[in-house]
Amino acid sequence: MPTGEQILIAVLNGVTWGLIIALIALGLNLIFGLLKVVNLAHGSLYMLGAVGGWFVIGATGSFLVAAVVAPLAVGFLGMVIERVALRPIEEDIPTTLIATFALLIVLDQIGLLVFGPGTRSVSAPIQGSVTLAGITYPLYRLSVAVVSLGLMGALYLFLHRTRYGMWMRGVRQDLEMASALGIPRSQVYVVTFGLGAGLAALAGVLLSPIVGVNHLMGLDILAVAFIVVIVGGLGSLKGVLVASLVYALVENIGTLYITTVDARVLTLSLMIAFVIVRPDGLFEEGLG
Amino acid sequence: MLSVDSIDTYYGQSHILHDVSFEAGTNEVVALLGRNGAGKTTTMRSVMGLTPPRTGTIRFDGTDITGDAPSSIANRGIGYVPQDRRMFPEMTVEENLRMGLGKAPFDPDRMERLFERFPRVGERLDQRAGTLSGGEQQMVAMARALMRDPQLLLLDEPTEGLMPSLIPEIAEITQAIATAGYTIVIVEQNVDLVLDIADRIYLLQNGRIGETVTPEALEQNDAILEEYLGV
Repeated sequence: MPTGEQILIAVLNGVTWGLIIALIALGLNLIFGLLKVVNLAHGSLYMLGAVGGWFVIGATGSFLVAAVVAPLAVGFLGMVIERVALRPIEEDIPTTLIATFALLIVLDQIGLLVFGPGTRSVSAPIQGSVTLAGITYPLYRLSVAVVSLGLMGALYLFLHRTRYGMWMRGVRQDLEMASALGIPRSQVYVVTFGLGAGLAALAGVLLSPIVGVNHLMGLDILAVAFIVVIVGGLGSLKGVLVASLVYALVENIGTLYITTVDARVLTLSLMIAFVIVRPDGLFEEGLG
Repeated sequence: MLSVDSIDTYYGQSHILHDVSFEAGTNEVVALLGRNGAGKTTTMRSVMGLTPPRTGTIRFDGTDITGDAPSSIANRGIGYVPQDRRMFPEMTVEENLRMGLGKAPFDPDRMERLFERFPRVGERLDQRAGTLSGGEQQMVAMARALMRDPQLLLLDEPTEGLMPSLIPEIAEITQAIATAGYTIVIVEQNVDLVLDIADRIYLLQNGRIGETVTPEALEQNDAILEEYLGV
């Protein structure tokens, strides 16, 4: 039987990991909720953030600069992708699937070309650990959890307190009427894709000191991000947060009792069962 | 102000509007009348760029806007109240109103002045629009279109689908807007309302403009009323 300390560590790991998954999946859900594009290249944008961050840290020695520059650069790349690659085919959902799958391959190969094979480590910008209820836990992981929560709060405020956020919610609810009132749909789409890409990249930078950086890291996270988006409810930010936390907690606590592979099987089985019972996911309201 | 010249509009392969032409001058109130399926709403959607015509020209303030994006047409100063009100149901009433600004800046004084005309809208600013009654939604849709102080207002059946007891109130508001100096193109089944406010009436039948009449002429011509409206 696991000790109380082991359970506490598993819970902390689950919460941290869940918040990171949520950060990545929020971008995916934002894009799906608004553009109806299932972006299979989302994991690659996360990878580009981590790879870009690794290069920026190498050049400047500053993790903070990397956490600003890499997401901005990937966000800009996302805007270009939306405008150039997806806009001409936005009405044709199957074609956008193929296009984003092609983008996944192209971006991952670019990652391999510039970064090379293998995993490289990144030093955490915050060293040390804290003692909580008798256990020692890395301070950086807790910081990542807090930053992720803060970013999600900021995203919520952006969507609900700014004009652009209101436009995004309006376009999602009724694209035609929003356009007929003068909301520039094209601009809203570009910004949304850029924001989603930037969030994924930021998650990549934040996670790189924990999991390292390699050019295939996007593939690992992509499936998880899709699972929590489907379970949380397509378009729902609140649902993504809850589903991410449940996913990560079940898996982390599960590994205390069964093997890692079995814990993954258990988690996925629970998620599949949930989707069968409730195909629309936890929440359906979307962008809220 | 608005000049629609020989437009032909299709839904897929279906040819809906045939060679439709009409005009609305500054401060004029122009009505499109016809039975269900005559092409009235399609005409409005064509002007807004939501169902752009395949041929013909639409000019607003002398500029050709045919084929422009709906958002660009709206931001030229055209307010649109669609047939089914089209609230953003998950947003509050205030957010619905602000959506009506498009790219125009928010003017709190203007919004306050609108509440003098739509007091019930002002009382429900924090309520979700999807929870409003049909009449209240119609008022929000009209106030939303007026938020940007449009040069031209397109009103598509403002009294349609409302409880009979609410129709006089909405008709009264429509009349007040019409006399406030807005240029208006209105589609309406309520003939009495149209006869009261319109300067000119275009009668549509099977996607074609059949007659152009004054309200006075229409009121006295039972044959035309019967032919185009079945009343």
